[in-house]
Order: sequence, then structure tokens, then C-alpha cells
Amino acid sequence: MRKIWILTKREFITSIRTKSFLIGLIIAPVLMGGSFIVIKLSEDKLDLDDKKIAVIDHTGILTDDLITIAEDRNANYTIDTASGEKIRPGYYFEDVLPDTSNLLQQKFQLSEKIRNKELHAFVEIGPEVLHPGEDQERFRITYYAENSMIDDTRSWVGRAINNHIRKLRVDELNLGDDATDDLFFWINVNGMGLVSMDENTGDVTDAKSSSLADALAVPYIFMMLMFMMVMMFTVPLLSAVMEEKGERIAEVLLGSVTATQFMVGKLLGSILVSLIGSSVYIIGGAVLATQAGFAESIPYHLLPWFFVFMILEIIMVGSIMIGLGAACNNAKDAQSLQFPAMLPVILPMFVMFPILKSPVSGFATAISLFPPFTPMLMIVRQATPVTIPAWQPYVGLLGVLLFTLLMIWFGGRIFRTCILMQGTPPKIGNIIRWTIKG
Amino acid sequence: MYAIEITNITKTFGKHKAVDELSLTVPEGSIYGFIGPNGSGKTTTIRMIMNILYPDSGTVRIFGGEHIGSRLDDVGYLPEERGLYKKMKVKEILNFHAELKNGQKIKQEIDYWLKRFDLEKWADKKVETLSKGMSQKVQFIATIIDRPKIIILDEPFSGLDPINADIIKSTILELQAEGSTVIFSTHDMSMAERMCDYIFMIHKGKKVLDGTLTDIQDKYGTDTLRIQTDNGVSAFKDIPGIEKINDFGQMQEIRIVQSIDVQDMVRSIMDKTRVTRFEITKPSLNDIFIRIAKPEKEEVDHA
Repeated sequence: MRKIWILTKREFITSIRTKSFLIGLIIAPVLMGGSFIVIKLSEDKLDLDDKKIAVIDHTGILTDDLITIAEDRNANYTIDTASGEKIRPGYYFEDVLPDTSNLLQQKFQLSEKIRNKELHAFVEIGPEVLHPGEDQERFRITYYAENSMIDDTRSWVGRAINNHIRKLRVDELNLGDDATDDLFFWINVNGMGLVSMDENTGDVTDAKSSSLADALAVPYIFMMLMFMMVMMFTVPLLSAVMEEKGERIAEVLLGSVTATQFMVGKLLGSILVSLIGSSVYIIGGAVLATQAGFAESIPYHLLPWFFVFMILEIIMVGSIMIGLGAACNNAKDAQSLQFPAMLPVILPMFVMFPILKSPVSGFATAISLFPPFTPMLMIVRQATPVTIPAWQPYVGLLGVLLFTLLMIWFGGRIFRTCILMQGTPPKIGNIIRWTIKG
Repeated sequence: MYAIEITNITKTFGKHKAVDELSLTVPEGSIYGFIGPNGSGKTTTIRMIMNILYPDSGTVRIFGGEHIGSRLDDVGYLPEERGLYKKMKVKEILNFHAELKNGQKIKQEIDYWLKRFDLEKWADKKVETLSKGMSQKVQFIATIIDRPKIIILDEPFSGLDPINADIIKSTILELQAEGSTVIFSTHDMSMAERMCDYIFMIHKGKKVLDGTLTDIQDKYGTDTLRIQTDNGVSAFKDIPGIEKINDFGQMQEIRIVQSIDVQDMVRSIMDKTRVTRFEITKPSLNDIFIRIAKPEKEEVDHA
């Protein structure tokens, strides 16, 4: 144990002295935090230029009203009344009579104006939008712009025209203003969690409002943090062991320690560094979240699960990296073997969103109980607002424990066999042979 | 008591038997020289002693016990191909190795050895800034920093200049005087002759020599004649009974077949030329090494 501690200490000190650790621990959060601040500061200031939009109105009755609605918006909603600063762009509509003889040519000319920045966009309103008939082409509203799919103006134009059309339809029914207001009153559905009971007092407490942070941010942060820790502190093990082999350091050390002590020391060093790294992130994140008013979204009860799964993931991937590092002779070998060894942390990223959407589906349950993926996917499922069966994390943990032991055995066999071997290429066949025969 | 007892160890790599039924006992406090041609099994034997490789069969005992784990603390090991962490400072790396060996009074020992090897000024420098010779000295210090009971050195003098080789040689002798048992492998036969109490030779995985230098030389008899004549090497042409000639220019060393008396051989040579100096002697370790490692037929062909 004493020797393992000495090796662990060396690994730890070496790791925290590296630039990658400093960059990962200090500069990465600064950059991430900085980018959030930049986004926050610039989100209302991204595009304040007024927009000029042409309207080809085949109904002949909507453009004037659209211009009036836009004027009302420009007057009341584009300037911050407190500061007097402009906070949104103004929309200015221009009525263009449809050229029925050559509509396509007319649309081309308007497109050219957009390309020349004389216009921002143009809208074509079909002739039957008020009372849609059988022919879909005749009640279509089309928005033409250089980047129409992510253009905020398109959304506003759609809402403004549709609201006005509905108003016109209601007017035809002569229902009166009060009824019209009721008709258009839209009620949002509030997302809530479940009502719960305090186990100590027996008091029933009302459900909490469901937030985007609970649904997406918390699981996402857990997964990304585990991904970062595993990538930062296990991938370098491969090159470190390869260096120790190539520089003939390994044999010197094996004169003082056993191969098992050597390997365990390296793994514990990585675990120690990752615990410090992840703790810094979690404490920093909790402080920031609390100050931002998201204190109730922090799932403190999941932190033990997170750390246990992260440690096991680091041992699992780290053992593979150490074994493969001993099998590699050069950087080319390392490149070819590194990617397959990282699959347990890369593949879960691809299935994260289907799991977030349906955490208790058969697919989510099955894949999160597959041991190589369990650490990252089980914590994602646990972190969603949906309650997963209580037995699943424990069964998952058991599977990961067994699989991690298998990986330690696998990595250890290769490590012991290959650490003094020079020149033999780490082909799949050789790796299998070293694993089985030693 | 024996420091090391090896009993019938065998190690096979694939189809190649690197060490074959090898047995050896190393007395405590002795210097034991391991010699043998390249690829003969020296390093494999040493690695099995160090528990780095496991023998397929047979046992290795250190001070009478199986040497797993803590018993490695009694053994200092300098491999043939060795390296150090380049980014660590000299003092840090010596401290690291001393701690691994559970060394005592580490700071004093580090200061002592750095001074002894004239490396004091480099104590706080990173290993990557050292010359090759200095790195080798640091590696040697790391091996003996805790004054281990057994010191195993695989080719300790390779690549060293005569001054540094002499410092290491005197350190080995000093540690032996303190009671350490030393095993070292070498290709330098004269060094082995001068330093070793016992010599062990391995060839094709098998033990072919084991004993004191005198024992080994006695086994080969007094069959060597170092002679200086007026006619040089040509004086021995057509003289029967010469097994091998080593021509050193001014002097020749000839090996005589066992059935011929050395006195008769001297007389035969004197009949052909004027002898200015001669010495009847035992074969050198170098000669014995070559006799074993090189097939006899080849020797005669090249004589």
C-alpha cells in the first residue's frame, strides 16, 4: 500500500503540473463562463437594424392591416421605456401589387433587392388565406429571405398575419368585442413535477414548477462533466505508459514495485486528480447556480452516485488505456488504439437525447444497464425529473463493478505481458493472445 | 546463507527456450559476474530473479524465502536499458526511488551520493538537461540509494567513460565491503576477472560455467603459451599440436591440444626460431568465453 501511495502521489503531482490540467480546470470554465456572459450580453443586441419587408398580397386586404400592426409594434415594443434604448428592430412593410402576368419575374426582382440589401425579406400571401379551400397553393403564406429558417422576423410575420386573419373571420360572425377577446385568450399549460410527502413530517408538499434546467441542464451537466473527467484523466494514461515503456522507465520501476502496484498507482493518481477536478466544477457550478436562483435544481442527492460512477468509469477506461499503452510501440499504434478505448464515453453521447426524452423507455433502460455505458447513462436517467425504478441504479452499479474488474484483469494482463516487449505490433490478434495466454 | 538460490528455472518465449533448467546459488556478500554472449539468457535470468518475469518452472529464493512484494526492497536493480522521468528533477527522482525502496535517512543519502558522484550542482536540474553519462550516474545512484542487501546490475559499465566506470567500480566494492551481495552482467571479461568472486556463464539458456575464476581456469588446465619470437606468427606454421593462435603483433598467445606437453611445444618452437620471451599460463576468461561461445571448428578455421 505504501508503494502504491508513492506512485499515486507522483502521478498526481505530475498530472496537476501539466498544462492540460491547468487549462481544463481553470481556463475551460473561464472560457465557458465567459462565452455565456458574452451570449447573455449580446443576445438582445445581436440584430437591432430595422427590417424592410415587401408584401405580395393576393387577397388585397391584409397588407394595410399588417402595416398598422407593425407600426403599433414599432412604436410600443422596440424601445425600452425605462432606458430609452432600442431593444428590438423595427419592421416596415411595403405593399407590392402582384404581377399576375409574370409573378416569378416579380419575385426574382424582389430577391435581387434582398441580395442588394435594399430589402430584408418579402412575403407572399395566397388569395384564399381567409377561407382556405381545396387547393393548398392558394392559401399558402410564403416568406422569402436569405436565411428564412432561423429568421425571427418570419415567426413574427406568421403570428401577426394569422392573428389578423382569425380576427377577420370572427368579425364576419358578428360576435362582438368581448367574445372576440375571449376567443383569442390563450392559456399556457404549466409544467409541474409531482406532489410529494415529507417523509419526516408526513406533510404533503405541492409540486414544483418544472423547468428546463431540471429537464435538460442537470442531466446534461452530469454527463458532460463525467465525459470531461474521463477524457482529461484517462486518455493521457495511454501515452504516459507508452513513454514509460519506450524510455525504459518501466523496467527500472518494476525493480521496486510489482506490475499490479505500478498499474494501481497510476489509476489512483488519475482518480485523485479527477475527484479534485470534478469537485471544483461541482462546487463552482453549485455556487453559480445558487446565485442565479437555481438552488432548488441542484440534485445534491445524486452526487454520491455521480462520484461512484465516475470513479468506476475512470478505473474501467483507465485500465484499458494502461494496457493498450503498454502494447503500443509508437504514436501511430497509440492513435489506432485510442479511439476504440474511448467508445464507452463517446457512444453514450449519441443516445443522450432519446434517453432524456424517454428516461423509462425500454431502450433507455436496456442501454443504461449495458455496463460500459452505465456510468454515463444511468446518471443521466437519474438526473431527469422522471423517477426511474429504484433497483435499476443498483443493478447497473453491480454490472459496472463486474465489468470494471474484467477490464482491470484485461488491462493488467496486457500491461504485464507487453510493458517490456519491444517491436511487436499491437494487432487485435496479438492483444487477444496476450489477454488469454498472458 | 545464500543471498539468492535459483533452482531449475526454465523460461520459454513462444518456441524459444531462453533459460533452460538453470540452477545457481549466490553466497551472501559476494560479487557474482554473469557473462554470456548476446541473447544467451542473462537478462531473462536477472528479470526472473527480480520477479519481473515469472519462470515457467523452478523457483527463485532470496535470503531463503519466496521474494514477492516487500522482499524487492532488499534488492537494487539497474536494468540494461534504463530510463528516468525526464521532467523530474534529480533530487526528486532520487527521493522517489528511495521512498519506493523504503530507504532510511533519504536526504542525507541523496546528498552523500550526489557529492560522491560530483552531481551536487545538478541536484535541482531536470533529468532532461543531463548528459548521457550524468544520467547513467543518477540511475546508478537511484539503484543503490538505500544501500540494498542485494545489488543487481545489468551491464553497469556500458557507455561510461573510464573515469565514471572507475567511480562505479569503487562504489560497488565499497558496498560489498559493507555487506551487500552484488550480481552484475558484463561483456568486459577483464572487469569480470578483476572484480568477481564468482563467475557464471550462460550459453543458449544453459549454465556452462559457475565458480571462482581459479576453479574455472583449473578446469581448462595450463594449456596456453604466451610467446615472443623473432619470426612472429609465422614461426608457428606447420608446428603440430596448436589448437588456436591469438596474434597480438609483438606477442602471440597459442592454445595447445591436450595431448601435447607444453615443454615439448616450447622446444619445437625453439627449433624453428629464436624465442625472446615466453610464459606458460592458464587460459584467460576471455579465451574461455570464446571457446564456449564459438564453435571449435570455426576457431580452427580462423586460426
